[in-house]
Amino acid sequence: MAATRTASRAGEIFTTLEYGPAPESHACALAWLDTQDRHLGHYVNGQWLKPEHRSSVPCQDPITGENLASCLQAQSEDVAAAVEAARASLENWSTQPGAFRAQHLTRLAKAIQKHQRLLWTLESLVTGRAVREVRDRDVPLAQQLLQYHAVQAHTQEEALAGWEPMGVIGLILSPTFPFLDMMWRICPALAVGCTVVVLAPPASPTPLLLAQLAGELGPFPGILNVISGPASLGPVLAAQPGVQKVAFCGAIEGGLRLLIQEAVWDETMRRLQERMGRLRCGRGLDGAVDMGARGDAARDLAQRYVREAQSQGAQVFQAGSVPSDSPFFPPTLVSDLPPASPCTQAEVPWPLVVASPFRTAKEALAVANGTPRGGSASVWSERLGQALELAYGLQVGTVWINAHGLRDPAVPTGGCKESGSSWHGGQDGLYEYLRPSGTPAWIPYLSKTLDYDSFGLALPSALPAGPETGPAPPYGLFVGGRFQAPGARSSRPIRDSQGSLLGYVAEGGAKDIRGAVEAAHQAAPGWMSQSPAARAALLWALAAALQRREPNLVSRLERHGVELKVAKVEVELSVKRLRAWGARVQAQGCALQVAELRGPVLRLREPLGVLAIVCPDEWPLLAFVSLLAPALAHGNTVVLVPSGASPIPALEVCQEMAALLPAGLVNVVTGDRDHLTRCLALHQDIQALWYFGSAQGSQFVEWASAGNLKPVWVNRGCPRAWDQEAEGAGPELGLRAAWTKALWLPMGD
Amino acid sequence: MSAHQQGTELDLSWISKIQVNKPAVLRRAEQIQARRPVKKEWQAAWLLKAVTCIDLTTLSGDDTASNVQRLCYKAKYPIREDLLKALNMHDKGITTAAVCVYPARVCDAVKALKAAGCDIPVASVATGFPAGQTHLKTRLEEIRLAVEDGATEIDVVINRTLVLTGQWKALYDEIRQFRKACGEAHLKTILATGELGSLTNVYKASMIAMMAGSDFIKTSTGKETVNATFPVAIVMLRAIRDFFWKTGNKVGFKPAGGIRSAKDSLVWLSLIKEELGDEWMKPELFRIGASTLLADIERQIYHHVTGRYAAYHDLPMS
Repeated sequence: MAATRTASRAGEIFTTLEYGPAPESHACALAWLDTQDRHLGHYVNGQWLKPEHRSSVPCQDPITGENLASCLQAQSEDVAAAVEAARASLENWSTQPGAFRAQHLTRLAKAIQKHQRLLWTLESLVTGRAVREVRDRDVPLAQQLLQYHAVQAHTQEEALAGWEPMGVIGLILSPTFPFLDMMWRICPALAVGCTVVVLAPPASPTPLLLAQLAGELGPFPGILNVISGPASLGPVLAAQPGVQKVAFCGAIEGGLRLLIQEAVWDETMRRLQERMGRLRCGRGLDGAVDMGARGDAARDLAQRYVREAQSQGAQVFQAGSVPSDSPFFPPTLVSDLPPASPCTQAEVPWPLVVASPFRTAKEALAVANGTPRGGSASVWSERLGQALELAYGLQVGTVWINAHGLRDPAVPTGGCKESGSSWHGGQDGLYEYLRPSGTPAWIPYLSKTLDYDSFGLALPSALPAGPETGPAPPYGLFVGGRFQAPGARSSRPIRDSQGSLLGYVAEGGAKDIRGAVEAAHQAAPGWMSQSPAARAALLWALAAALQRREPNLVSRLERHGVELKVAKVEVELSVKRLRAWGARVQAQGCALQVAELRGPVLRLREPLGVLAIVCPDEWPLLAFVSLLAPALAHGNTVVLVPSGASPIPALEVCQEMAALLPAGLVNVVTGDRDHLTRCLALHQDIQALWYFGSAQGSQFVEWASAGNLKPVWVNRGCPRAWDQEAEGAGPELGLRAAWTKALWLPMGD
Repeated sequence: MSAHQQGTELDLSWISKIQVNKPAVLRRAEQIQARRPVKKEWQAAWLLKAVTCIDLTTLSGDDTASNVQRLCYKAKYPIREDLLKALNMHDKGITTAAVCVYPARVCDAVKALKAAGCDIPVASVATGFPAGQTHLKTRLEEIRLAVEDGATEIDVVINRTLVLTGQWKALYDEIRQFRKACGEAHLKTILATGELGSLTNVYKASMIAMMAGSDFIKTSTGKETVNATFPVAIVMLRAIRDFFWKTGNKVGFKPAGGIRSAKDSLVWLSLIKEELGDEWMKPELFRIGASTLLADIERQIYHHVTGRYAAYHDLPMS
């Protein structure tokens, strides 16, 4: 009989009732690696690319250290080859009807379904993550993503008629979740007609397998290309001609911060420890394991944090012990960290949970929002009113009420603050890979001569240029609801196209920007809490005021050299813009229905906060109003730099705003554009920056805003047709003027 | 079995603030079924453990002395002797935990078990099983008669009307009286969770039953349309844990109804292990009420030992 050997153990297990090993067979993963002779190259244009004379890195099982394969590392030529393949297939792919692209994505979903075991064992084998996580979550989600976006490609064609695919998209993956990260981004990109080049981290075969599955579907092999190499190749990828956008996934699921109300602290901690005590750590390919390993680096990071926390007086609870030389780290609960200790400020590494108590919901909200991160959070409370208030107040991209970690392709997933400003999934995800039809393609242009240190640094001194002719324009910086003298106490002359002096405007500087931003922040809570109807009413009142002031504005524009007919159109359109955005503000946000959840997911459009806008020189009134109106409609407070050449019409509007709008809602600072742009871009407490000016200025804004990862919108020196509906009042402005928050509301009693 | 769980005074503050998060319970229930596979010799050992936790049950209108006798014999010899030998478990005294019958069949069961020379307890359902819609007086009398006939465990059904109308004090008092009527017999309280309306009610009824002195709380009669489900079990197990934390008293758990496959029984065991720990994984604190489950377990053990799937006639029926 077969079991004589094992029989002796049955009695023992009968007593101990321990769990045994439940290994998932990964023979198919090894067999797949064998098809490449354990030597992986890149997958480009439907073929394996294995160039000679390249270095390679080993792909190891992070738990056993066994060498599974070697992976070639790409060089610039390989990046160029991949981009070329994507570029070559772009025209054909993007011009296919949406229904056709839908079919192709569906076929890929089916291919994943047929080979799911290979996918999940390979991913678990090389990442060390628990197989149940990959099998029960990642792979089904990958299929859902493809199916959802197939439907989008099919149904959204009409709705997105005014948009066109950006082109070739570059994608740089993080080493933590390469497979799922990739799916969240390639699905919308492919659905709208873009083609993709993925730069996978060294030694991550799953993206390559996915590319192979896609490539073997037959037609369009070049739409998805995967090369592996270090993240340092990112700039090379970005600089390839034809690459329109580079998405970077820095998403690393770190540890968690837990805020627990003092009244339930003891009870919660006890239950938490009880539950954590039952989590099982082990080899990822074991089906009965909750948590795998993430390699030595992650373990060391966790180790260091725990030691540091202990030395600062924290309590550390670790569920189960693991040998110190193993790659595993047990789930760890850290509590009683002194509020000011460095560990409290630092990011919590995986797999740690740092718990701290709070007294009131208001305090919890302040603590939770007091970090530079804004990815996701969950609120646990049986009082729906309280839970909703917290959920609305949290500055994060996703909030789950009484749940955590749910995902669905229909729900936009993004973040705010340093957690990024792009969205995946849902409608919002599609726009990431679209541009309004007719806008010029992005040319990767970086001026080598631009000196970031000195751009806009010096303020040119302006001397008196004689007496003003005609009526004197309103004088001062419009900050905090009134005209104020500039900090520098100097002025700059404004001339018409013939060179004769129209008047003097205040010369704003760094201190004035600081003051304006402060005023905008003070006005922000009040404006955000206004109902859409109240915001609309104010915009309409402003429109009416502009209409009353029409003769005045027309003559100001004329003095700037605008023809009478055009000036009249400009004022008329400006009034129309204010009315249009006032009407549009009423319809925002919606409830989504998702498959995995009973209950709605609310898609909320949240104001960015303080939005800084540098207006273009052209269309001095219309561009000013066209940018201002959507910003206000979406609940932002604004700091504007008006047209440099013709700031006077904007100041004229300020006179009306002084009477109509709450103080600080709109602040207008005149002066040297480069200098003011520099001040705005380097300000950390501005939540978004729109810049319409020179290519150099655009480049500077992008570079400087990386400091707090604020979303920027720059025109790279390309003029915009502000009098046209699409460019002057299109949906693009509305999309840019707010961020999306998804709020999950599970139901059931 | 050990001494009884004495229960506590009624303390409504233990249930007044409770609110069960149903979506989270459903998710946990779904996860638990996929996260703890048990394989190979572990599976064989766990299945034998499951056998020792079975209340082998027959609750049919057509029960007679003969099928009750056959059931009792199967309770004594649940797994074919040669299979147990192959696992070296033949001398471990593996029997089911109890046999469970209607009150009128208690005598038959006691007689049959005595004849078979074993001390497997006889459990009797009582108190107007399954609906409980009879007078309290007759319900109490039913308990006393079953105990007189030799039942040492009494599976009572609670009065669902009291739960649905929120009369927790009255529910407590009734179960207290059941407890008293049981005398030395063990009290297993059936909550009939399929008829309680919400998971929050399941928690509250569990807590009341334990405060009133139940030795076990049991999910269902097997006669409702919805029987032992994992979400309900999670709520009841958390209540058992809370009660243990508050009082130090360990109350047993018995899912019943619809548990038919060997695989199900493994999931139930792992659920107990995860939620309450190893010390609850024994017949004193865990029972499975089932009639056909045993046959499937025996087939699985047959397969483990021989590497072949058994034909139905290979294994004795119960």
